[in-house]
Amino acid sequence: MKGLLLAFLLGLLPALSEAHKVNLFAVREGDTVKGECYFADGSPCKKAKVEIYNEKDEKVGESLTDERGLFYFKTEETGKLKLVALAGPSHMAQYEVEAFQEAERDQIPPHEISNKAIEEKLQRLENEIRDLRKKMDRLTFRDILGGIGYIFGLWGIINLLLRRKNAS
Amino acid sequence: MHISEGVLSGPLLLGGALLSAGGIALGLRDTKTPQLPKVAILSSGFFVASLIHIPIGPTSTHLILNGLMGLLLGLKAFPAIFVALLFQALLFQFGGLTTIGVNTFNMATPAVLSYYLFRNLLKKENKTLVFFGGALGGGLSVLLGTLLTSFVLFLTGESFRALAITFFLMYFPVALIEALIIGFIVSYLKKVKPEILE
Repeated sequence: MKGLLLAFLLGLLPALSEAHKVNLFAVREGDTVKGECYFADGSPCKKAKVEIYNEKDEKVGESLTDERGLFYFKTEETGKLKLVALAGPSHMAQYEVEAFQEAERDQIPPHEISNKAIEEKLQRLENEIRDLRKKMDRLTFRDILGGIGYIFGLWGIINLLLRRKNAS
Repeated sequence: MHISEGVLSGPLLLGGALLSAGGIALGLRDTKTPQLPKVAILSSGFFVASLIHIPIGPTSTHLILNGLMGLLLGLKAFPAIFVALLFQALLFQFGGLTTIGVNTFNMATPAVLSYYLFRNLLKKENKTLVFFGGALGGGLSVLLGTLLTSFVLFLTGESFRALAITFFLMYFPVALIEALIIGFIVSYLKKVKPEILE
C-alpha cells in the first residue's frame, strides 16, 4: 500500500508543478489600465473575462485577455477600480487598481529625451516586478512536501485524541 | 474541482458547511486508531492528486481521486478529504476557507456513495469484477462530484449557468482517466494487500 502510493506519487512528480490558482495584476496609466492574468504555474489565462467594478461596486465594463493572458482597457472612472477575473467557472481572482492621480495629467514632459530614458528604465523595472510576482505566486516542491507533512501531523494529533478517548 | 472564495452566496456556504460537519463527525466516529495511518496516507494522496494538471479546456482540470478515497475509506472519506482541502486552501489558496464546507461535501458525498454501491464488488475473488468495481466507483465519484459542483454554481446565478455546463463537460475525460487509474489501483491492492479492501 505505502510502496504503491509512493511509486504512484513519485511517478507523477514531473507533472506536479502545474496548478490552477488564478492570479490577477494590473496598473493604471492615465486613462488606460493594463493588466495580466495567469495561473499559479505562470501560464497565461487565455480568453478569460475580466469584469470591472467602480468604487460603488457597480459593474462599469468588461475586458478579455488575449493569448498571452494580457488585457487592457480605457476607463473614464477616476476612483479605485476593482477587477475580477473569471477564468472558468470556479476560478476567479480579484485585484484593486489605484485611484487616478490628478497630478499625472499635468505631467507634461519637460525634456522629451530624458523622459524616454526613464520610461525605458521603468519598463525594465516593471517587467522585473512582474516576474518576481509570478515567482512568488508559483507553487514550489517545498510547498507540496510541507503540505503532506502538515496532513500527517494533523492526523497524528487526531490519533492522539482518539486514543485518549478510547482509553478513558 | 474547487469553488473559490467569493463565488457562492451565504446560505449555500452555510448549508455546505453544516452538511460537511455532519459527514466529518460520522466519519470520525467510524475511525478506529489502527486505521489512522491509512486515512492519513490517502488524505495526503488526495492533497497531491489535485495538483496534477490535465490539460483540457480553457481552465485547468486536475485529478480528483475522490473515488479512491471513498472505496478505501467509506465514511472516513469525509474527514480525510476535509483535511486535504483545508491545507490546499491554507497553503495554495485553492478553493478557500469559506467554501471548504461546500467543496468537502461535493467531493466526499459521491465518494461515500460509491463505497456503499461497489464495496461488494471489491470483495469478489474475480479479478475483472474487482477492476470494474474500482473503475465504476472512480468514474462515478468524479461525475457525481462534478454534477454537485455544477449544480451549486447553477444555483448561484445567471452568470454562472453557461459555465456550469462547460464545467461538467470538461470533467468527462477526467472521469474516464480516473476510472482507469482507480481500476488498476484496486486490482493491484487486491493482489498485494486484499485486507485493505474489506
